[in-house]
Order: sequence, then C-alpha cells, then structure tokens
Amino acid sequence: MNPDPSWRLVAPDALVSRSWDDELVLYNDVTGDTHHLSVLGHAVMTMLASRPSGIALAALVRGIADDAGTSADGELAEVVERTLAHLAELRLATPVSA
Amino acid sequence: MIVAELAAAELRRRLTGPGLRLRLGPVATEIRSPFAVVASGLALLYAKHEVLGAGDFADFRVAVEPPFGVRRFVAPQALFKFDGNTRFRPLPAAQAFPLLEWGLNWCITMHCHQYLIIHSAVLERNGRALLLPAPPGSGKSTLCAALVARGWRLLSDELALVELDGTRVVPIPRPISLKNRSIDTIARFWPDAAIGDVVPDTLKGSVAHVRPPADSVQRARESAVPAWVVLPRYENGAAMELAALPKCDAFMRLVDSAFNYSVHGRAGFDALAALVDGSDCYAFTYGGALDEAVAAFDRFASS
Repeated sequence: MNPDPSWRLVAPDALVSRSWDDELVLYNDVTGDTHHLSVLGHAVMTMLASRPSGIALAALVRGIADDAGTSADGELAEVVERTLAHLAELRLATPVSA
Repeated sequence: MIVAELAAAELRRRLTGPGLRLRLGPVATEIRSPFAVVASGLALLYAKHEVLGAGDFADFRVAVEPPFGVRRFVAPQALFKFDGNTRFRPLPAAQAFPLLEWGLNWCITMHCHQYLIIHSAVLERNGRALLLPAPPGSGKSTLCAALVARGWRLLSDELALVELDGTRVVPIPRPISLKNRSIDTIARFWPDAAIGDVVPDTLKGSVAHVRPPADSVQRARESAVPAWVVLPRYENGAAMELAALPKCDAFMRLVDSAFNYSVHGRAGFDALAALVDGSDCYAFTYGGALDEAVAAFDRFASS
C-alpha cells in the first residue's frame, strides 16, 4: 500500500462552483449532483484543482496548512484524509492510482 | 376585460362551453368546468384577472369535470384534466376549486421550464423581490398574506419564476392558499380580504383562498430583482427572530425547493448562484405576531 498516495479531481472540467464565506457549493455536470462543502472541503478542492495531474497527500496537507497559517500535524492529516474519502464518495476526487 | 366585468351567466356559459381564457402572469390558460363552486371561486378570486378572447392562444387547456358514470350522482367527484387527459386521482366535488388551483400549479411547474421554478412565495417592494421558500407548514402563506395585506406586492404565493440569468423574478399573481388556523388568522388580520369558501377535509386540511389585490394583478408584467431570501418558520408562541443565513446554506435550501433544478443542470446552478449573489439571506422564526413580523420585513425593505 502506498503510504503517500496522490489524489486528483475526477472531472475538473465538469465542475462549476461558487464560494461564499469560504464555503463552497458546486455542481458536477457528470453526476448532476450539487454539493455543499465546508471550509476544509473547499481548501482541498482548491488544492486538487491547482494540481490536475495529482498531488501527494503529504504535499496536500502541507499546502493546506501553509494557506491556513498552521502546522501540518497528524491531526490535520487525519481530517484531510477523511475529507478526501468523503470527496471520493461524492465522486469528486480519486486516488491517482485508482 | 377582467373577470369581474363578465356577467355570472356569461362566465358559466364560457366555463361550460368554449372555455374561459385567463391571463395568469406569463401564461394564458383555458378553463372549463360545470361545477358551480368553480364558477363562484373564479368570479371572486380571479375577479381582477384579464379575460382573453376565444382566438387568443392558450398555453394550458384544463378542465375540472365530474367523471362519467354513477359517481356523477352518488358521492360526486371532480377530475382535473390537462389537454383532455385526466391527471391525479379524483377528489370530492366540493373540492373542485382547490383541485383547479393545485392543477394549475402542476401545469406551471411541469411545463414552464423557461424559468427556474422555486416553491416559494414572492413579494415586492420598490422593485426588489423577497423570496420566502419553505415547505408546507412553515407559515409561508400566512406570512405572505400578511405582507400583502400591509402593501407588499404579490408576485406569487407558491411559485417563484426565476429568469435563467437569476436576475429577475417574473410575477404570476394568483390566489393565496391558506390552510386550517391561518384562515381565521388572516381573516382577523386583513378584514377587507376577499376570502373564498372554506373547503374542509382536503388532503391539506381545511383550505381557503385569498384574492390577490388588483394592483398585483395589473402589474403582472413587472418583474422584480431578487433582493432577499428569507426562510420562514412558524413556531407557535416563539419569539420573533431574524438571523443572517450563510449563503451556501440558503443556496442549498433553494436547490431543495426548486421544482425543476435538475431539468436545467448547470444553467440552474448558475441561476441560483446569481440569485443568491444578489440577495441578503435570512432565517426567520415567528410565533404568530403578524404585525411584528410585517414590521421586521418593512424595516429591512427600507434599509
């Protein structure tokens, strides 16, 4: 098992979004679903969108920590992993190897 | 010509013959019905609506008629027909007028896809539209009637027709539907209101309709710019509270309240996003003090 998998958006061109108060709503033209993402979900989606070919989990956590002015500790990594799992369930993000 | 200018006999002749053609905001509707309660309901509640000529195009051709057979005589029923085809299960004949209203709502929500249609009351002040999207039982129509009673223009009690660029709401002023206790509440709050017959024992309980003001009907071609999205919630005896609502939350509530959001796909998302962009969003709880509630809306409308 890869200890530091990379992640990417499933269909970036199919997404249209709007942000208010750092939260995000987005429409996925592939599934027809509309989603409401938290501040962290928004941050993860933004980071994934900036790296279309994929970004390793550790780099993703570091990037989010830098943007938030906090440290990339294990607690943040755990929350980001949970967020990625949630985005995968929504068919918005996927591990690159998948 | 408006409905009030038609003699009762002529109204019945049209309803039982070639059809009564009415202008309902952006749509024209042809109505046929032999039921006296439909004729009296239309005479009272659509009194200010424009009557169209026999040669004018009708977007919808509807009828509320008795079924064939013995049910004409025993426990009579009413059927709603669209283009000659029966829709919905029959209801007791005494519910023929509410059935017409519910059927017209169905016609609009199923066919007017040139708009994004949201289950929402819409009112207007100074060209700016207030949307009250809410599920049944939230006090939406009671609040809507109270605001109309105090001078807000009615665009709709039930259906917000949003242009697909999200920047205008198109009026479709029709009677305001009240249920159960709200009928007496509005009768007391708005003594001059023209309220139709109370029809008991419907699927929604007792229902009655309030005639929209003449000014609202006459200005049905004047759309309004969305300015406020307020999610109302009636809670018996609760203190009034108007709280800012995060726009993402308001957006998702509007998605849930839109009848044809999925029909429009990305265009529907864009329309709602533009609407929310241009609106202040609130959650509003009230406990039945309508004067206090109207005053709260008047305050932010004048700000």
